[in-house]
Order: sequence, then structure tokens, then C-alpha cells
Amino acid sequence: MAENPRVRTLFNDVFAGRLTRREVMQRAAALGLSAPVVAALAHANASMAFAAEEGTLTPTFYQWMIDNHGPSIEQVNADFNKTFPLDMKIAPVEGFGIERFVAEARDQNSTWDVYFGQTPFVDMKSLIDSGAIEPWDAYIPEDVLADMIPAVREEGTYDGKLYNWPFLLDITIQGWNADIVQRADLDPEAAPKDWDEYLGNAQKVIDSGAAPFGCTFDAHGWRSLVPITHTINTDVYTEEDLFDFTNDSVVEALEIMKRMMEVSHPDVLNPGTTDGGVNGTPDEGAFAAQQVAYYVKYQNAHLRFAGTWPDPSMLRLAGMPKPEGGAGGTVFWDTGAALFKYGKNKEQAAAYLKALTYDDRVWEHSMVGGEGAVPAGQLPIYQSIWEKYESNPPEWLPDWAFLIRDQLQFSQAIRTHAFGVSQFLSIGDQHWHKYLSGDESDPRKALQAAKDAVLVEVEKAG
Amino acid sequence: MVGIAMPRKTAKSSGRSFLGSFPVSWLFLLPTVVFFIGWQLYPIARVAWMSFTDYHFLRTNEPVHWVGFQNYREALSDPLVRTGLWRAAAFTGLFLPGMIFIPMVVAVLVDRVTHAKLATMYRLVLLIPSMIPGPLIFVLWKWMYDLYIGPINWLLVDVLGVYTIRDQPQWLGSSTTVFPAITVMEWWWGLGYHTMFFLAGLATIPRDLYDSARVDGANEWRLFWNITFNRLRPIILVLVVLRFGTAMAVIDEYLIMGGFNRDRPTYTWTVYMWDLGFKLGDWNQGYAATVGWIGALAMLIVVGGLFWLFRSRD
Repeated sequence: MAENPRVRTLFNDVFAGRLTRREVMQRAAALGLSAPVVAALAHANASMAFAAEEGTLTPTFYQWMIDNHGPSIEQVNADFNKTFPLDMKIAPVEGFGIERFVAEARDQNSTWDVYFGQTPFVDMKSLIDSGAIEPWDAYIPEDVLADMIPAVREEGTYDGKLYNWPFLLDITIQGWNADIVQRADLDPEAAPKDWDEYLGNAQKVIDSGAAPFGCTFDAHGWRSLVPITHTINTDVYTEEDLFDFTNDSVVEALEIMKRMMEVSHPDVLNPGTTDGGVNGTPDEGAFAAQQVAYYVKYQNAHLRFAGTWPDPSMLRLAGMPKPEGGAGGTVFWDTGAALFKYGKNKEQAAAYLKALTYDDRVWEHSMVGGEGAVPAGQLPIYQSIWEKYESNPPEWLPDWAFLIRDQLQFSQAIRTHAFGVSQFLSIGDQHWHKYLSGDESDPRKALQAAKDAVLVEVEKAG
Repeated sequence: MVGIAMPRKTAKSSGRSFLGSFPVSWLFLLPTVVFFIGWQLYPIARVAWMSFTDYHFLRTNEPVHWVGFQNYREALSDPLVRTGLWRAAAFTGLFLPGMIFIPMVVAVLVDRVTHAKLATMYRLVLLIPSMIPGPLIFVLWKWMYDLYIGPINWLLVDVLGVYTIRDQPQWLGSSTTVFPAITVMEWWWGLGYHTMFFLAGLATIPRDLYDSARVDGANEWRLFWNITFNRLRPIILVLVVLRFGTAMAVIDEYLIMGGFNRDRPTYTWTVYMWDLGFKLGDWNQGYAATVGWIGALAMLIVVGGLFWLFRSRD
């Protein structure tokens, strides 16, 4: 019994006075402890019962999550507040900055209990290395763990432990403006099957005058180069879990992107307007302004920006084009929750996560939107939810939900690494962008420069 | 016998009684001293210490080691440090003259307005941009420079037809136009604030100097150069030093309007320092501190030169 981490955790919580008597009884019973042990624990807890009664669960959210899902999250919060006090905050993490979390961890302190906004390949490794977060394993119910889509669970696992409780799933797909495509005399319901067809259609859009530009993409590597590469080959990572820039498939993907540049808007390589240029990117503006027909990005971009059209129903979605003989893959990631090591209400955090991630109000709002709110389109990560939707689809469930979910079988996550995002953002992107902008004529040279630059930084970091 | 009156030793001339004479003054100074030591002196000293160590912020369980000048040797041969400093200098060279001369000219013009209410209205209008917080200014000008919804390109493409939708200027997106674009924004933002400095300086110039010069046949240019500009030298020095420092140390504008592409001119030494300290790998803040100190020392050398250049010639 002492070997069971959940029992150890229960004992620790009891002697730290973090539980109510009812919680002690419930958890002890769930763990199958004997009656005398349960009684002893309840007695030990009695003198320390006040601690948990005064606790307030403090989750902190990345701002964009509240922007996109605020109303539904607040509904869940209101219900949860009836069982345990909850005080939601907005996280000080603009530009994916986790400095505050790390600084507090160094002082063995945490203002919050759980952080919503962690993306495994972006910041999870840094949070683990800094000691700011701990695994969910001791707190997450077994049935919830087993219910996670395996690939998503694997994405949030590091060193055999689950550090990311997944929440919002994004998958990179293609989308298009059916109105523009129809005006270009193309079939608005037919998804381009391969990249030649995709680029040919984009050119036809321009030639017909249906729109000034044929296609667009987000120039950040993880949103374009990587998913396009995955349509060709998904085995493009080094032994150290870095993206293998010089892999032949990556070269092929970059050449496809060069052809996309020719039918895209001139500012497609420009930085965005927020989060240090990462968000608010030119592709979003072009798609929202209906200046372009075809768009490659994660599905929530298509849905949010088509939501600004006079007729959002003109949006069409499909899996990525696949080159002949290609793997037909794409990229997925989920934005989930990290458990602060020095937070105080970990059991309650787990209960809250379970309540939030299973609540249909969250998924309805995500897929359909709300009053005056466009849908964000992010998807649930539990198998049971999808089984429920398959057997008894709710009225509000949109047609594209299963289409996008089905891409998951072809998807792969970007590997977790300390340089997971910076191998693209600060270091690598500028080099292969030179090939796209015409400053470098050889794609291999451009990609080699990217790889070399990343390796230099990795070596500097030791 | 004539007695020589010696000045009585007063409490003021006694070193030991210096503090004793002014205990109340020190009490009033205490908050400022605490702030200066805690929020300025201590951080400077700590960053200086960090620059001589291998301090990585995320390596919480590893001891910090003293590495002497190793970081400095590495930083001085780091092409990104040198490139970053040159980029910041290029921006400063573009920004500074306009930031001094445009407000000076505007101040001279406003100073000549004799109608009191009109003069006040001009001053108020000029000061409006300086009341707006920085991030709002950056977001506003990002919209101004936007290719699809920005008024500048709407005028150039849709109204005047000077450009097409394909070859329209990309302003913040182009390496050749990004610095001029940010410079214009900064000139607009700081115009009123700096004009007030010069208006204050102009108010101290005796009017009879101009009258005498006119009697001697001086034209407007001679009046401006020999009297106005000369008399405004102390103010120019203050503004040049202040604005040189802020221009070289710009980071907010680059982060919001420039992104993290190292190839772009906006990836200066300040952005590199921030990238090193808060983004890359294990956050090598020892090295980032070194980059900061090299930038600061380079700026101090230039500021010293500016003080010499603008020294009083009376």
C-alpha cells in the first residue's frame, strides 16, 4: 500500500490538513483502504480540517483561452464554485512568457494552482526543468487517463509522467472560401487532393479575378513547414527530438511553400501583431478580409476568421493535400493544463480539470460559438466524448467536427524539447524564409543554415 | 591691539555635525534612497555579477559558477551582438536628428504665435500623442501600416493608385522600410513632449538679443543659428542624451512590431538579450547580462562624446 502513490498522496494531504472529512472518507474508500485505517485518517484529519475549508482553487488562463471560450468556462466555474471556492485569473504569459511561474518556483511559491495554456512542445519542457510544475499522475483519476486519445496523452507525457492535462485540440488542415472558389469556376465542395491541384486551384483563383490571392499560410515553421512536411513524411525528427531541417521531405515541403508564395499575398512572411509577432499574423488578416481562397493552418484559425465573413457558412474544411506516395500526415497539438508544484489545491485542481474538460457546454461553445461569438473550433480529447457524439450526435454538433477529429489518426505532435518552438521561432525560421523570399536560391542551403543555427544554440545551452 | 575676528565654528562647518544638522532632511530623502538602492543600484550590481557567471535561470538545482570574463570574450565575438548594436545605432542615427530638429522647428513656430488662446490650443494638440500609453501607440500604428485595413496603404493603393495590391509598401514587413516606419511613429509620438522642452528653452532667451541682431542686419537663418540654436544647446544636449539612450535601448517597439526573426533589422541587441534571458534553452541570463553590459558601456562611451560635443563654449 505504501508503494501506491495515490495512498501516499492521501496520507500527505491528510497530515497537511488539506482535506475535509468528507474528502478523506471518499478518497480512502475509493482507494479501498480498510475501515480502521479510514477511521484513523479521519481522526488525524479532524484537527487539521480547517485548512482545506479555507482553500480557494486558483486556476490561471492564457488570455486567448478566455477570449475564445470565456462564456462556457465561466459557466463551469460557477458550478464548480458551489462545491469548492474558485477564483479564476488571467495568466501573465503574453508571448508565451513563463518567467513569472519560474520565478515563483525558485522561491518555492505559487500564486496559482494550475495553469491553462501549456502546449507541450512550446513550454512544457522549460516548466519541467525549472521545477515549476509536477506530474498529474498522483491526482488524475485512472478512468480519465484511460479515456484520453492515446496520441494526445503521449504528447503531454515526458519521462513517463503526464505533465500536460490536455484540453483544447488543434489539428492543421486546409480550408477555403467556397464563395471565392465558386467564382473562380472551381467546385466549392471538392478539396484539392494533392499539392499540385491545390496550387493549380490557387492560380485559377487569381487568374479568374475571384480574389487577389490564391492561398495563404502562417510563416511560422510549426504552423506551415512542419505540417506540410508531415503530408510527405512524418519521420522527420532527429534522435534528440529536434526537427530534422535537412531531411529530403522537408526540402520537398519547402519547395511546395515556395510555389505557395507565388500565389500568396506579399506580406505573408511578416510577423504578427501580438505575442511578439507570433499571433495576429498576416494570413489571418488576408483570410478574414476574403482576399484569399485557400488556407493552411490549425482549424480554429479558419473558424474564427471565417466567422467575420458576411456569410460564414461559405467556409469549407478538409484534411491536408497529400502528395503522391506521401504519408498524408499533419500536425496536432493540444493546449492543456499544468499543475504547479507549489500550488495548494491539487486534488481540487484535478476535480476542476475533469469537470471542465468533460463539460458539453465547453464543447458546444467551442464548435458552435455563442451569442456574438464565433466558434473557436477546438476539440475534446476524450474517446468517450467522441463515442457519445457518434452514437447520439447532439443537434449542435457541426459536420466538420468528425472530419477534423479523423485527421488525428494521420497526425503527429511536434516533439517536446527545450528548443521545441525556438528551433523555429527565434532561430530556424529566418533561414528558410530566405528561400521563400528569394534571398537564397538553394532550399538545401537555406535549411542547412537553419539546422546549423539550431545546433549552435542547443550546444550553447549545454 | 586689533583682534582678528575668526569665524566661529558653526555646526554647518563641522563634518561630524553634518548629519546631525540635517536628520530631518535625510528622513525625507529616505524613500528615494531606498528606491534608488533597491530598484536601481542593486539590480545594476546584480546584473554586473551575473555577467561574470554561468547563471541559467531554469537550472534551479545547479550551483552558479564564476567564469570571469568568459562571457565577455564570447559576446564580443558573437556576430549577433555586434550586428544587434549596429542595428540599434542605425535606428538611432535615423531617429535622433528628426527627434531634435522637428520639435525645435515646431517650437520656434509655436513660439511666434501671439494669439494666446491659439498658442495654448497648439500646445494641447501637440501633447495629445504623448498622453497615449506606448503599447496603444504601437497597436495604433500597426493598424496604420496594415496592408488590408490600414489607411496609409488604402490611400496609396485604392485612392491614389500609386501602388497595386501586389507591390504596395509593406512598411513593418520590409527590412528597408521597417526602421523609417517606426521612426515616423516615434517622431509623431514624441513631438509634443519635446516641443515643450524647446518652448521652455525659448522662453529663457532674451527678446532684445533678436532685436539687436535684426538691427545689425541678421536674417532669419542667422537669428536661428547664432541665437536660438546656440541658446538651446543645453536643452539639445539633454534631449540628445536622453533620446540617444532610449533609441539605443528600444525593445518594446521591436517585440510588438518586429517579431523574433534574427534577420530583420528589428532584432537588435536588446531583443537578443531578452531572447537569451527569457526564451532560449535554459535562459542563459549570465550571458544575457553580459550582452546588456556591453550595450550599456557602448552607450556610455557615446554619451561621453556627446557631452564633449555639446560642452559649453562660453
